[in-house]
Amino acid sequence: MKPQVNILALVDVIGALSDRTLGNGNLSLVDNGDFHSLGQGTPELCTIVSPGQVVQWQVLAVDLQTPVEIKSITFLGPEGANGGALNGGSHNGAPDGGDGEKLDLGVWIGIVPPYLPPGVGHRYRLELQMYEGDNSVMHIDSPTLMCL
Amino acid sequence: MPQQLAIIVLVDVGNALTAESLKDNVYLFDNMKLHGSEGEGTGDLVTAINGAYWRDGSQASEQVLNWLPYSLGSIPPTVPRGYQADRARQSDQEALDELDALTSKPPAAGNDTASQLAKIRKTAGTRVKTTRRTSGRMSGQKILDVTGNVVGEGETHAYSYPGPVITDIYGQAVDEKIIYPAEYGSPDLVTDGWYWSATVDTSRPGTYAYTMRIQLHKLVQRSGEILWEPVNLTCESRLRVTAEPRFNAFTGGGMGLLPIPPVAYSYPAAPTATDETGES
Repeated sequence: MKPQVNILALVDVIGALSDRTLGNGNLSLVDNGDFHSLGQGTPELCTIVSPGQVVQWQVLAVDLQTPVEIKSITFLGPEGANGGALNGGSHNGAPDGGDGEKLDLGVWIGIVPPYLPPGVGHRYRLELQMYEGDNSVMHIDSPTLMCL
Repeated sequence: MPQQLAIIVLVDVGNALTAESLKDNVYLFDNMKLHGSEGEGTGDLVTAINGAYWRDGSQASEQVLNWLPYSLGSIPPTVPRGYQADRARQSDQEALDELDALTSKPPAAGNDTASQLAKIRKTAGTRVKTTRRTSGRMSGQKILDVTGNVVGEGETHAYSYPGPVITDIYGQAVDEKIIYPAEYGSPDLVTDGWYWSATVDTSRPGTYAYTMRIQLHKLVQRSGEILWEPVNLTCESRLRVTAEPRFNAFTGGGMGLLPIPPVAYSYPAAPTATDETGES
């Protein structure tokens, strides 16, 4: 088993800003986990992990000259629990909170907690920021983390 | 947000050649305004380069700079590669056709051969003589205006200059080993197949100046021949390098468990409601 699983978000920034959505194929998620994760290459990626494994999220722009960073990752609770309300759990730990220009300093990495029940998907909200302004922040609630 | 950094060097070629200086004739832009670059669109750009380092002090991100020279008052670099040659060939063909028409006409009265020939000469335009030094991309071309039409000899209206070429990047930032510039081959013909690029050492914050040597081409007439003569000019710009530590975005500090709420927490009991009913 790999000590670390990497989840990579590939973003077509120009596509996302033009369409005002991370849908339409503007975002694709992949991971290198070793338990046959589901939905590779889609925003519905379900990453299968094992307690104690380290998970790191990274974002990469398809066009290297476009800016994109992870603004926040928020766990929404186990699947079917309460329709995806934000029930605590995460935040951008950035000292100056959400300031677009400092987002690149954050490293989105953590250990899978030992208390997670197996076979239950934990959906999370992945929020991305592309440059700045009113329409620069978009999110998806579709990816999940599931313990083996 | 680290991304490929582009610095656009827009040169007003005609005025720079007249003034023999790039001062006030160059406009610099980069894509780092969000991160604090200053003086966008002026000749005094300060490019912000925000570095990052790990807890142990090692560099955590690599910044790459790319320089792209553009021209004011030239045919856009996005036209097809053979555009200049095609236009030259087309004007030759038109001149030949006109000459053909002229010679096939009977030498009847009223034909002013001299003025007809002058008109053909105008159609043929002016071919630039290439020497060994100026051969290559400009060889066999004619002088065109910015709309792609040939310019005849002695005509005074504006012609399109060859684009500016960066031939060197040097100065303080290079001497102090802050940037490591070099010229690279590129498959992108918009850049004429070459571009200048540099990696940045962000471990020593500060403001560093650098100088670009830029080659322009001036149209000159020498012993009856028309030539594009290279003119080398320089302009300066600055980089402001900063560096900040990276941190764990979940915890704000070091490594920790992912903030996934335990299952029990997703079914919160309604405390007030329970209290009320339990009060009987």
